[in-house]
Amino acid sequence: MPDLQFTATINGRKVSRNGKPHQRLLDFIRDDLNLTGNKEGCGAGECGTCSVFVDGVLMKSCLMPLAKAQGKTIETVEALAKTGELSVLQKAFHKAGASQCGYCIPGMVMAATAALRANPFADREEIKERLGGNICRCTGYQKIFDAVEMARDVQNGSLPATALFEDEAEEGDFIGKNIRRIDAPSKVSGRLKYAADMIMPGLLHVQVLRSPHAHARILSIDTSAAEAMDGVEAVITSADVPGEDGFGVFVNDQPVMARGKVRYVGEAVAAVAAEDPLIARRALGAIKVVYETLPAVFDPDEAMRPGAPVLHDYAPDNVTKHIPIRVGDVENGFAESDLVVEEIYSTQPIEHAYLEPEAGLAYVDHDGVVTIVSPDQNVTHHRHMLARIIAKPISKVRFIMSPVGGGFGGKEDMIYQGMLALLAMKTQRPVRLVFTREESIVSTAKRHPSRTVLRMGLASDGRIRAFQMKMLCDGGAYGLSTEGVMRKAAILAAGPYVIPNVKIDTIGVYTNNTPSGAFRSFGALQTAFATESHLDICAERLGLDPFQIRRINAMRDGALTHTKAKLGSVSLTRALDAVEKASGWETGAPVSRGASRSDLNSDEIRPPCALGARFAAAEKQEAAE
Amino acid sequence: MLTCDNYLTPSSLDEAFDAMAEHRGHYRIVAGATDTLPWAREGRAGDVHIPAMIDVTKIPELRQLSVNDNRVRLGAATPIQRFLDDRSLVRTLPAMPRCAVWFADDQIRAQATVGGNIVNASPAADATPCLIAHAAEVELAKKSDGNIGRRRMTLDQFVTGPNRTALEDGELLIAIECDSLPGYGGSFEKVGHRRSLVISLVCLATLVKLDAQSQRIEDVRLSIAGIGPKPLRLAEVETFLRGAAISPERLEQAADMPASFVASRTRQQYRREVVRGFMLRGLINASRSAGADLTMLAPELEVACA
Repeated sequence: MPDLQFTATINGRKVSRNGKPHQRLLDFIRDDLNLTGNKEGCGAGECGTCSVFVDGVLMKSCLMPLAKAQGKTIETVEALAKTGELSVLQKAFHKAGASQCGYCIPGMVMAATAALRANPFADREEIKERLGGNICRCTGYQKIFDAVEMARDVQNGSLPATALFEDEAEEGDFIGKNIRRIDAPSKVSGRLKYAADMIMPGLLHVQVLRSPHAHARILSIDTSAAEAMDGVEAVITSADVPGEDGFGVFVNDQPVMARGKVRYVGEAVAAVAAEDPLIARRALGAIKVVYETLPAVFDPDEAMRPGAPVLHDYAPDNVTKHIPIRVGDVENGFAESDLVVEEIYSTQPIEHAYLEPEAGLAYVDHDGVVTIVSPDQNVTHHRHMLARIIAKPISKVRFIMSPVGGGFGGKEDMIYQGMLALLAMKTQRPVRLVFTREESIVSTAKRHPSRTVLRMGLASDGRIRAFQMKMLCDGGAYGLSTEGVMRKAAILAAGPYVIPNVKIDTIGVYTNNTPSGAFRSFGALQTAFATESHLDICAERLGLDPFQIRRINAMRDGALTHTKAKLGSVSLTRALDAVEKASGWETGAPVSRGASRSDLNSDEIRPPCALGARFAAAEKQEAAE
Repeated sequence: MLTCDNYLTPSSLDEAFDAMAEHRGHYRIVAGATDTLPWAREGRAGDVHIPAMIDVTKIPELRQLSVNDNRVRLGAATPIQRFLDDRSLVRTLPAMPRCAVWFADDQIRAQATVGGNIVNASPAADATPCLIAHAAEVELAKKSDGNIGRRRMTLDQFVTGPNRTALEDGELLIAIECDSLPGYGGSFEKVGHRRSLVISLVCLATLVKLDAQSQRIEDVRLSIAGIGPKPLRLAEVETFLRGAAISPERLEQAADMPASFVASRTRQQYRREVVRGFMLRGLINASRSAGADLTMLAPELEVACA
């Protein structure tokens, strides 16, 4: 492949060197120039972590073939301020607490810079519009918009520069104070190194061959052609695992790479370490795997029926975990109820979509310690598991947690660290794996999809007499956190309500879908969605205000939960009061509102899906001229 | 992942055609490349190797704009962002700024081109219905026997179906020419799953010219996309409205007319409801921006355009 002679001015310096014709501008600045402030979150122009200025115009460098930047002036996030200093916008992001995981922040700061260059007086709506090409998963955006408005006002002189200073607070006095985050300067400047930003001398690049089948027996894997390719240093399969293969959070049912059979589309089957990612990727195409497809099951209900395909020998009924809770006698409770309501609720799988796709780097150090650096939310447990898998004493295994560019529970599973360890051991060189966004979506855990049957009995005054719930969750092909998710779902299912008779069953089931795992709230979301929706329906049927029905049943200080935990103080009624006030709630049963709501079409309601804030700004400016 | 052996950036039409002849059968034309790169990824085309990528954005003729009160000529490689920031285009293509502001995001618009949007021929392409409302023509060129020959056809004829056009092998889209409509009021209504970076489920371009009293519709242009295999000019509705006074009854009748054109593969009932709302909203927004006093419209129509 011929080189591309590339010349440009990058961050004020003339750069002239050979690139590749297929490279994107993003590849060149990150890989060739080691300017890693701008990130790759999606590679498809959707997320904006890669935004750079090209001749003063903000562009997505993942969508720009390198040749398009020929002769241009490029500014990356590193150009916004000198080392050790921060621009006004960066200071405002620091002050406003606008960075959390930080992965979107370099791109977000670039987009905010572009927005204020386009209109130094942009209002909040226009700022939102101009930041529309950048995604953040942590902040909910409000603090980011706060920061941009703060920077705008400081730049325009309507706020003093001291507004960017840290608020004064007494030593040790934190509650209710705006405390700046210690790690924010490294994030707003792009200097913090995430795993995909790290390099080491002699680094090899890893790519993973993944299963195209939901359920299939592996008859053979032939890696010889891949191993023979120039630049390929090692190919591994489950045959390379020296110890006891299997990881998980509660049950070690998942091999480092598929062993004997694949159980979901996207499961790792083999991995290659090569001199560059392109060679590694081509080597994947040279690995020959012969599969015999097996009947697959994609619905948890069907998976529990007799005769359904069995995923794991240890669980012939495909049940990963069943958590039952029994309090009182629900049949008695229903019998003494004035109203019994039964409904079915379902929720879908949800992807965490952290801006940082999974990435990790591994090496064997001078003392023979296998070292894994990755954004890993459970390093200690993983260290113990990996020691068993690679048959080494715990003192020869080290996990270093790199900055997590968003996790939300999705990085609790040891999905790829085992492959990195095996390749570092086999090649005796540092190895790095960086997932694509697509790879992250197909291969890592999702929130458990659920189907919940909820039956509730109430007295006519609104008191809940009986609560019966059965929730079936699709745990996918491997156990991961399913057991814990089922447990927490069950514990919290009946909500913070005093109920004398409770019967709860949460059941996690194996299917050939993408595995489900930990995700913020860890099972409480699915059951709370059912229980709280149900309470609204019951309030409607009883002619009660939804706040009232919750107050009637609310646990108070000293309450005993359905699983016999004693609660010292319960803030539920205070929370209800605050929510009722903040939402401008109009008292009454749910049937009493609708078209008559007094806030409809008022100035306080934001119009839906409005773009074009910049036109209003332009009209205002023209009128002023 | 997209790989190539050569990334060529011809600086003239001749050079481009020579490169196309040299790499015949082994090249792909790119302009903004904002669709090509995401296309060559897992889930769409996967890993793709194209021996020669030919980038046409450095050809001067494809970058040229020429604008007067009768015609607008857009070089095919004109970035979408020009519809927002070039004052002469904002004046003569009055629905285009609203179309452009919904198009991807500021950063992608700076790179994505109008020609690329047309040649991709997505049923949801946003620029195409807008330009069809301006009775746009495309200019195509091809080199044979050492001579560059050109031909023209209407944009409506050029787009033949989903991702299909009348472009021949070895042919390039050079420019788009369309009616210049200064003094018209424009609107672009679009719905998708979110605000930025979203593909249209339905979009409607509306252009309205009022008579001197701002009471009657002197001329109207309506074009819709996302409801069938290709964008559609709503000629019947235009005829029904042309010369009519703006009244709630007339607008409601007009809004009912295009529902029968909905022929999408999915969600037809939903789209029929959207189309009716968009017709009302588009006509009201375009009339208002043409200077109509709409206080006489029934309150429910006001709600429809909120």
